[in-house]
Amino acid sequence: MGEAPLRADLILEYPFTRTTGPVIGAFLTGLREGVLTGVRRPDGTVMVPPAEYDPVTSEPLTEIVEVGQAGEVVSWTWVDPPRPQSPWDEPHGLALILLDGADTPMLHAVLVDSPDELVTGMRVLAVWSREREGHIADLSGFSPEEVA
Amino acid sequence: MAKQRTAVLGVGQTKYQSTRGDVSMAGLVREAALRALVDAGLEWSDMDAVVIGKAPDFFEGVMMPELYLADALGCVGKPILRVHTAGSVGGSTALVAASLVQGGIHRRVLTIGFEKQSESNATWALSLPQPFSVSINAGAGGYFSPIIRHYMERSGAPDLIGCMVAFKDRQHALRNPYAHLHQHDLTFDQVVEAPMLWDPIRYSETCPSSDGACAMVLGDEAAGDAAAGPVAWVHGTAMRSEANNFPGRDEVDPQASRDCAADVFRQAGISDPRSEIDVAEMYVPFSWYEPMWLESIGFAERDAGWRMVEEGATHLDGGDLPVNCSGGVLSSNPIGASGMIRFAEAALQVRGMAGDHQVEGARRAFGHAYGGGAQYFAMWVVGADRP
Repeated sequence: MGEAPLRADLILEYPFTRTTGPVIGAFLTGLREGVLTGVRRPDGTVMVPPAEYDPVTSEPLTEIVEVGQAGEVVSWTWVDPPRPQSPWDEPHGLALILLDGADTPMLHAVLVDSPDELVTGMRVLAVWSREREGHIADLSGFSPEEVA
Repeated sequence: MAKQRTAVLGVGQTKYQSTRGDVSMAGLVREAALRALVDAGLEWSDMDAVVIGKAPDFFEGVMMPELYLADALGCVGKPILRVHTAGSVGGSTALVAASLVQGGIHRRVLTIGFEKQSESNATWALSLPQPFSVSINAGAGGYFSPIIRHYMERSGAPDLIGCMVAFKDRQHALRNPYAHLHQHDLTFDQVVEAPMLWDPIRYSETCPSSDGACAMVLGDEAAGDAAAGPVAWVHGTAMRSEANNFPGRDEVDPQASRDCAADVFRQAGISDPRSEIDVAEMYVPFSWYEPMWLESIGFAERDAGWRMVEEGATHLDGGDLPVNCSGGVLSSNPIGASGMIRFAEAALQVRGMAGDHQVEGARRAFGHAYGGGAQYFAMWVVGADRP
């Protein structure tokens, strides 16, 4: 047998841009301001993050509404260890979080030390980054809400 | 098996421009789709399926845009299909949509092509390095320029034929409010004096980079009969493809192109395309492709397509076969939509709805798209009369 066939590396990179439009753009602007927003559907329910077109009727959705900074964990998983490309260096929860005033849960990290601290139905509160630029990473994650 | 009669009920286009910074991709396709529905006098709920096309994913960096865009296209609870044939995709997409009606699967289908070139770099996407071949980063123009030179040499065409095509299409574009380039003060000398980009292709002989979307509503015979306004009846549809490199390949006049044209004209009952077609919208991203395709399609004898250009036969004013009255790809190029624009403009002509670039009394029109290394072809013939 001869040598194994040679392999060649192939790295393809290009910095694409995205035009966000009026609805997703409003959500990202809100993040920069430290505000969480959704969009109201004709039946009164609120989607977070917002969608430009109604997922049932396809009608345009335009009414941006502010929702709470806290919410409830609907379901979760534990990430340990995070992969090299994860935005988070430490083990953490990934949870579907139903923010107060929202009718769809949003995926984000719950920053706790152990899966023992995660439970479905727990209350969590947004943790903002110090520097914000209108990107989903402006939200560092969520932490358990202080118990009164 | 006989095909079901199929008609274009509505057409919708966005104004083509270099950047549509005000809308997302969803907002862009929505705009064109809604205009097509309004033109057809129909609602989202009247559509049975959506067929969408765009250029390859690397062009914008969106994987599977058809999933992300389903909501914007009113596709909840309906089938959505994506078609993918490089630059010809807009034409193939329209033909796949038409086949769903011709085959009796659906009664009314929304079809759309789009591109946001402002969010990407087509030349980068067309020039991806391969580990085992030289990467020259030349894009489409670098690929096609030797083929064009070969045509010039074998046909004996005068050097400025390409400039004549470019100047004509930019003049036509002034009569199309949707065209990207509106160069009111452009002179023929300026076209000629423009810098060589990929010799023999001048910068002035290439297409722009555009954002835009084009949509059509297609319907069956009953839907065509029920339409309040004029419709365009589909008289023939054909697609062909071939490898882009094999021994003996005629790259100037690919066999797939000739076969596709012969098939579509046979279906339409056309034996002399030049006299029986009133207006053509052909995919001409580089000026010289007008005479090349005129020959390949059968509008001119071999090596004689350039004479039609020289005689002004393809000009909207006084030509017997006006070509690209919309301004063509040379005046607007949202790649994923460009083929569909050709098909839609052909439909507008036979509906008598092409506005200032209308060919008076057009009864039968030809729509054409090509893609890849001139290896994918999509064509249709539409007419004012029921076939």
